[in-house]
Amino acid sequence: MIWVFLIAHVAGVGCAAVAGRSGIRTALGVAAIAPTLTAMWAGVSMASGAPPTTSTFPWVDGLGLAFRFRTDALAMMMTLLVCGIGVLVFVYAIGYFAPNAGGASRFPASLLAFSTSMLGLVWADSAWTLFIFWELTSITSFLLVGHNNTDAAVRIAARRALMITGGGGLALLAGLLLLENEAGTSTLTDLTPVQGSAANVAAVLVLIGAATKSAQVPFHVWLPGAMAAPTPVSAYLHSATMVKAGVLLIAVTGPAFTGLAVWKAVGLTFGIASMLWGAVGALRHRDAKLILAWGTVSQLGLLVTLLSLGTAKSIFAAVSILFAHALFKAALFAVVGEIDIRTGTRDITELGGLHRTMPIAFAVAVAAGMSMAGVPPLLGFAAKEAAIEAVLGLSGFDAVVGATAVIFGSVLTVAYTTRFLITVFGPGPTTKVAPRRIAMTIPAVMLAGAGVLGFIAMGTVNAIVRPAAIELNPKAEVYELLRWPGITTGLLTSLGIVAVGLALGAAIARRATPRIPAPVGADGADAAIDGVLKFAPRLTGRVQHGSLPVYLVTMAGVATLAALPLALDGSTDHLVAWDHPLQALLALVIVASAIAGAFVGSRLGAALTLGAIGTAMSGVFVLHGAPDLALTQLLVETVIVVGFVIGLGHLARRFPEVENTWRLTRLVVSGLGGLIIMAALAAAGADPSGTPPVGDLTAGAVEVGGGKNVVNVILTDLRGLDTLGEVVVLAVVAVGILALGSTTAREEVQ
Amino acid sequence: MILAHSPIVQLGIRAASPLAIMVGVYLLFAGHNNPGGGFAAGLVFGAVVTLRTIAGIQRPTHAIQIIAAGMAVVVLTAAAPLLWGDVLLDQKVLSFKVPLLGTIKTGSALPFDIGVTAIVVGLVLSLLDGLSATSLTNSPAETEIPS
Amino acid sequence: MSISLLASIGGLTTVGLYLITARSLSRIILGFSLLGHAAVLSLLVAGGPPAAAPIAGGDAPIANPLPQALALTAIVISFGLTLFLLALAARQQALTGDDLVEDDLEDQRIAASSNEEDRSAAAST
Repeated sequence: MIWVFLIAHVAGVGCAAVAGRSGIRTALGVAAIAPTLTAMWAGVSMASGAPPTTSTFPWVDGLGLAFRFRTDALAMMMTLLVCGIGVLVFVYAIGYFAPNAGGASRFPASLLAFSTSMLGLVWADSAWTLFIFWELTSITSFLLVGHNNTDAAVRIAARRALMITGGGGLALLAGLLLLENEAGTSTLTDLTPVQGSAANVAAVLVLIGAATKSAQVPFHVWLPGAMAAPTPVSAYLHSATMVKAGVLLIAVTGPAFTGLAVWKAVGLTFGIASMLWGAVGALRHRDAKLILAWGTVSQLGLLVTLLSLGTAKSIFAAVSILFAHALFKAALFAVVGEIDIRTGTRDITELGGLHRTMPIAFAVAVAAGMSMAGVPPLLGFAAKEAAIEAVLGLSGFDAVVGATAVIFGSVLTVAYTTRFLITVFGPGPTTKVAPRRIAMTIPAVMLAGAGVLGFIAMGTVNAIVRPAAIELNPKAEVYELLRWPGITTGLLTSLGIVAVGLALGAAIARRATPRIPAPVGADGADAAIDGVLKFAPRLTGRVQHGSLPVYLVTMAGVATLAALPLALDGSTDHLVAWDHPLQALLALVIVASAIAGAFVGSRLGAALTLGAIGTAMSGVFVLHGAPDLALTQLLVETVIVVGFVIGLGHLARRFPEVENTWRLTRLVVSGLGGLIIMAALAAAGADPSGTPPVGDLTAGAVEVGGGKNVVNVILTDLRGLDTLGEVVVLAVVAVGILALGSTTAREEVQ
Repeated sequence: MILAHSPIVQLGIRAASPLAIMVGVYLLFAGHNNPGGGFAAGLVFGAVVTLRTIAGIQRPTHAIQIIAAGMAVVVLTAAAPLLWGDVLLDQKVLSFKVPLLGTIKTGSALPFDIGVTAIVVGLVLSLLDGLSATSLTNSPAETEIPS
Repeated sequence: MSISLLASIGGLTTVGLYLITARSLSRIILGFSLLGHAAVLSLLVAGGPPAAAPIAGGDAPIANPLPQALALTAIVISFGLTLFLLALAARQQALTGDDLVEDDLEDQRIAASSNEEDRSAAAST
C-alpha cells in the first residue's frame, strides 16, 4: 500500500507542474489529490484497526541497503498530520495566492514534493531511508522558502536554512553510520540500547542533526528567517511537519540511546535552551509571524526536553503535544496569513481591533491560542497537563531541572500567547480590512475546530496518540489524555501557570512599541556561510593552480610514500648481481642512456637516446627468454624514433631552458620514487605468492589455441578480449592523430 | 628533414620493399608457433610504408579505410563464435597445406591477427599523414627559443 | 632476482619521473616512454628468472609466459600513447610555436579572482 501512495504523490508532483499552466489555483487543486487520498486511507485504516505493515524494496543487496518502510501507530499518526494538514494547507494556499500569482508550476509541485519527502521520512524504517527523505525535505524546503526568488533577503534566508539543515544532515549521516555499526542494524524498530564511546559520539551527532532540523538553540536561527516563505509553507513546514522531523528522529532513535548520560544531557540542554530562548524571542518580536516562529522554537524545545527525559510518561506527553501543536500552530499561522493578506501588515503595533473586523479569524485565534497556552476545554490543555504531570512525577535532579524548565517555559508560553491575542485582536486602531477569502477561512476553522473536537472526543485522540507512544515505550500504555484530571497538583500547577502567564503577557502587551531585536544569530550564520564561500575559491586557487608539473610531482610523491611500506620489509638473500653478464652491460647502457636523455639539450639527441634504450631493452628481453617482446620492442622503437623525428621536426632543435626552478625538488622526488619502486620490487621477489602455472598455460596453448607460441596464444585466445581492447585503443589513437593533423593542415591552407 | 629524393635511395627502397613484405608475411603466419604475430607484422609493414613515404615513393593515404577494415575483421572474428553458441573469441583450429610454406595449422587466430596487422599499418599511416602536415611539407625552423 | 634489472628499473623510473615533470611536452613524452620501459621490466622481473623462450615442445624449462603477454600489451599501449602525445606536441607547436605545457588558464583565473576579491575586501575596509 505504501508504494501506491508514494507513487501517487510523485505522479502528483508531475501533474501539478503541468497543471501550473492553467494557473496556480488549478495546480494546487491537482496537487491536493494525492494527500487527500493518503489521509483518507490513513483515517480508514486507523479506524478499522489495520495491523502495522512493513514493505521493503531492495536497493544494494551487497551492502544490505534497502528502502524499508513501516506503518506502525507512530507512522500512521504522522501520516494523518502530514496529509491531513497537507490537504488543508493546499486549500488554504488556493485562497492565499492571487489567481495570477507567479511560480504557478513551481510552488504547488514543490509543496507536494515536500509532502512526499515528509511521508517517506515518517514511514521510513531504515536509518538510510530516513536519511534520504530527511535530506529531500531540506532540499524541497529550500525551494519553498526561496519561493519569492527575486528578493535578495528571501534568497539569503533560504540559503541559511539549507546550509544549517544540510550541515545537520551531515552530522546525522555520521551519527547513523556509527549507530548502525554499534547496534548492528539499520532497522529503526529493531534498535537495541547501545553503549561505549562510539555510541556516545553517535548520540551527540544524531542530536545535532535533530537540533538543526527542529530549530533548537543555537541552530534555530534559520527558522525565523524561513518566515520569508509564503504563509502556507510556514503553516505546513515550519509548524506542523518538517520541524517535527528532528523530534521524530529523537523519538525513534531513543530506544537505542536512552540509557546514555550524554544523550540526556545534550538533549536537555538543547531542549531547555530552546524552550526558554524561543519563548523570550516570541515576547520580543513585533512581526506576528515571527512571534509564532519563535513560539515554535519554544514548543519544539519542550518536545525535545520531554523526549530527553525519557520516562514513559514524558514520551507519552511529548507525542500528545506533538499532535496538538501541529493542529493549533498551523491554525495560528493560517490566521496570521489571512491577516497579512487582508490588512497588508503583520506588525502587531499597526494591528488592533481585529476582533470586530475579522470575527472568525478572532475565534480561530482564540481557540488555537488557548490550546497553545494549555487552557481548558481544548486539546492543548490535556496534552500540556500530561507534560506537567510527567515532569512533576520525576525525581532527583531531573525533577528539579525538568519541572522548573517546563513550568517556567509554560508561563512564558501563556504570556506570548496572551500578548499575541491582545495586540492583534484587542483594543487599538481598527485596521482597514479587505474582503474575506473563504478558501483561507475554512482550513483555519477546521484546524482550530480539531483542537476543540479533540477535547470533546478525547477517546478518538487517545486512540491515535496512545498506540504511537506505546510504539516508542511500551510502558506508556498506562497513560491516557484526560478531559478533567481532578484536583491534583498538576492541575493546580497548570492553573497557576495560566494565571501568571496571563498577567505577564497582558503587562508586556501594554508596553509601548518594543524595539525589534537585531538578528545577531542569523547574521552570524550568514557571515559564516559567506566566509566559506570566500574561502573555497581561495583554497581552490592555492591547490588547483593549474601547473601540470606541480600536480605530477605531488602525485609521484604521494605514490612513492604509499609504496614505502612495501619497500621496507623483505630479505636480500634472493638477489643476484646479474642473471647473465651481458645483462649488467645492457643495464648500464639503459641507465646511462636514460640519464643522457634527460640532460641532453638537443631534441634529436633525446630521441636517439630513446632508441638506444629501446634497443638495449630488446637485448634484455632476449636474455630473459622473451623473443616476442624483443622483436616487438625493436620494431616499436623504430617507428617511435621516426615519429619523433618527423613529429618534432618543426620545433627548435634544442629544448627551451625554462625549467630550472623546480629542478631540485623534481630530482629529489623522482630519485626517491625510483629507489622505493626498486626496493618494493626486491621485497616482493623475496616472498613469491606461488609457482607460476607455466605447465598449465603451455598445455592450454597447445590444446585450446592450437599454437606452440604460448605468449601469442595467450594474446589472441586466452586473453583475446584484452587484445581486442588494445587494438581499439590503437585505432582511436590513429583517428586522434589524423584529426589533430588535419586540423593543422586546414589552418595552414587558410 | 631527410627529404633527399635521391634516385639511389628510391631504388634501394623499391628493391627492399618486397623482401621486407615477405618478412612481414612470415611473421604473421609464424606468430602462432614461433616469435612473431600480427602486431610485429604490422610494424614491419609500417616500416616499409615509412621508408617509402620518406623517400617520396608513395603518400601515406587511406589510413582510415585500412583501420576500418582491420576493426571489422577483428570484431567479426571475435563475435563469430557467438553465432554458433560459443563464447566470444572462441578458437577454431584448422590445418591446410599452402605451397612454399608447407602445412599450416592455424585457426580463427589468423584472421584476428590479420585484422591487428591492418590496424597497426593504419596507425603508422596515420602517424605519417597526421604529423607530416607540419613537418614533411615545410622546412624546419632553425631558430632558438630564447630562454 | 637480478640487481642489474632492478637497477635498470630504478634508473628508468627516476629519469622518467624527472622528465614527466618537465615543461616541454617532448621531454614529457620521453619520460612516459621511460616509465613504460620500467613497467615492462617490472613485469618481467616479477615473472621469474630467465629461461628458454616460451615455445611449447622444447626440452628446456620455459620462461613464465603470462608476464610476457602482459608486457607485450604494455609495450603496445605505451606505443600508442607515445604516438598520440607526439601528435599533441605537433599540434601544440603548430598553435604556439613551441611545445611547452602552459599552466591551465581557467585554474589561474580562479586563483586570480579570489586574490582580487581579497584585495578589494582589503581596500574597502
